[in-house]
Amino acid sequence: MIDWTFDLLLAGGLLGLAWQIVASRILFRSVVLFIVFGLLMAVTWARLAAPDLALAEAAIGAGITGALLLSAYRALLPDRDDGGEGGSPPPAVPPWAAVGVAVLVGVLIAGIGWAVVGLEPPEQTAGRLALAKLEASGVENPVTAVLLNFRSIDTLSEVVVLFVAFLAARVVAQDLVHAGPGDWLRASRREPLLVQPLIAFIAPMTVLAAGYLLWAGASQPGGAFQAGAVLAALGVLLRLTGRLRPTEETSLPERLVLVGGLVLFSAIGLASAGVASAVLEYPPGWAYELILLIETALTLAIALPLVLLFSGSGGLRGEVR
Amino acid sequence: MTQAAFYSLIAGALAGIGIYGLITQRHLLRRILAVNVLGNSVFLLLVALARRHPDYVDPVPHAMVLTGIVIAVSATAFALVLARRYYAETGLNHLPEDEE
Amino acid sequence: MALLDALSAGLLLLGGLFFLTGTVGLLRFPGVFDRLHALTKADNLGLGCVVAALILQAETGWVAAKLVLIWMLALIAATVSAHLIARFSLRARGGARRTPP
Repeated sequence: MIDWTFDLLLAGGLLGLAWQIVASRILFRSVVLFIVFGLLMAVTWARLAAPDLALAEAAIGAGITGALLLSAYRALLPDRDDGGEGGSPPPAVPPWAAVGVAVLVGVLIAGIGWAVVGLEPPEQTAGRLALAKLEASGVENPVTAVLLNFRSIDTLSEVVVLFVAFLAARVVAQDLVHAGPGDWLRASRREPLLVQPLIAFIAPMTVLAAGYLLWAGASQPGGAFQAGAVLAALGVLLRLTGRLRPTEETSLPERLVLVGGLVLFSAIGLASAGVASAVLEYPPGWAYELILLIETALTLAIALPLVLLFSGSGGLRGEVR
Repeated sequence: MTQAAFYSLIAGALAGIGIYGLITQRHLLRRILAVNVLGNSVFLLLVALARRHPDYVDPVPHAMVLTGIVIAVSATAFALVLARRYYAETGLNHLPEDEE
Repeated sequence: MALLDALSAGLLLLGGLFFLTGTVGLLRFPGVFDRLHALTKADNLGLGCVVAALILQAETGWVAAKLVLIWMLALIAATVSAHLIARFSLRARGGARRTPP
């Protein structure tokens, strides 16, 4: 009974927040409630026995996406201070049509889930096979094993998508003077008193935490994505406090990091085609070491594009304040 | 009702809310938020269905949703850059076909 | 044992109560500074109660130490955030001359 109370409260929170995000008249409230929605989703993932997802959602879904949205909110706000929309003009689509489509889509999604739950679960699912072959994969965390061994082609494609998003953003982005947050840094030359102690304490701890998440991802919840997201959050913090300045050109080390994960992953995958039996299959006995190597490169290759997407620039350089 | 079935229903409701927001809202930022809510609803469906087995938790949907979260943030970041450039070029917060 | 569980439950409820008062303060107080006051006091104390309840349930000393570390990190984040918000609000009203350190 207690379990059901918690599930109902969680569901009520999710639905209430989603409705507020969509229907609120004040844009800032929608953005902030979306960040809260991300955190509540992280709790939902923990409730559904998906701790890796909870870590990733809290760092990426709530943290990085929240920072991106708030930065864009500042940029998209018109100069008049009426909340950004000037009232609420009638939508182009009649409300009954929108509600009808919404109900249809909702019934479709829920119906898929309901139908699948009603079916008899098949004996040989991919998940059962993955769990059975877990010792041969080189790691003990089943999600890491699936990500970097059994379905590593998906992870490779996902790194490509992140890289392409960065390239596309470079093509479309505006000049550096409009790049991301930072105007306010020039207005007051004195920064708040607590920022320097915060950075002095948080920066080393964050690097430590990211390294631990990467290392522990082999046997516990964690891995390259979570570690990369935590490093990206550190990058966002340094960018916001002026320790990192945006530059137009991407420097050579940054280019190496950006493509390094992709190149290393592909190289190991193709080389394995000669040593082992197939592309992207690790030679027996070397799986753990190769997975750790690839994950390290992936962590940096995930963190840097996220920070650059937030700052809207081609590169970053350090600055001592 | 098992946990998988319950969260499937919640995913459906979230998807409905997301689509409603995508259709009826004009402001570009609101549309991006609605798309993210829609994406989260699909992730919720996948992870809920991973719980339908009585004896183990399926790790394959977890891996897929983890990849999906990173792809969602990439797409959101690019959409935001597009929206900013569009606003800088035209001064509009919505698409021209949404004006009446 | 049952005493430990009862104590944890009591501390969790107390933490929930603190969070509730902080949220009521956020919703009902009129200005930024009043809301900051309600939030920072109540929420940090609430988190402390929740962490204390979890420490009573921890299996090893390492888990308890990590919980204390989590609480301290949340405290630091809340402190700096409140400082920055208050400083910004004060400057928005008084201009650059009134900006505190």
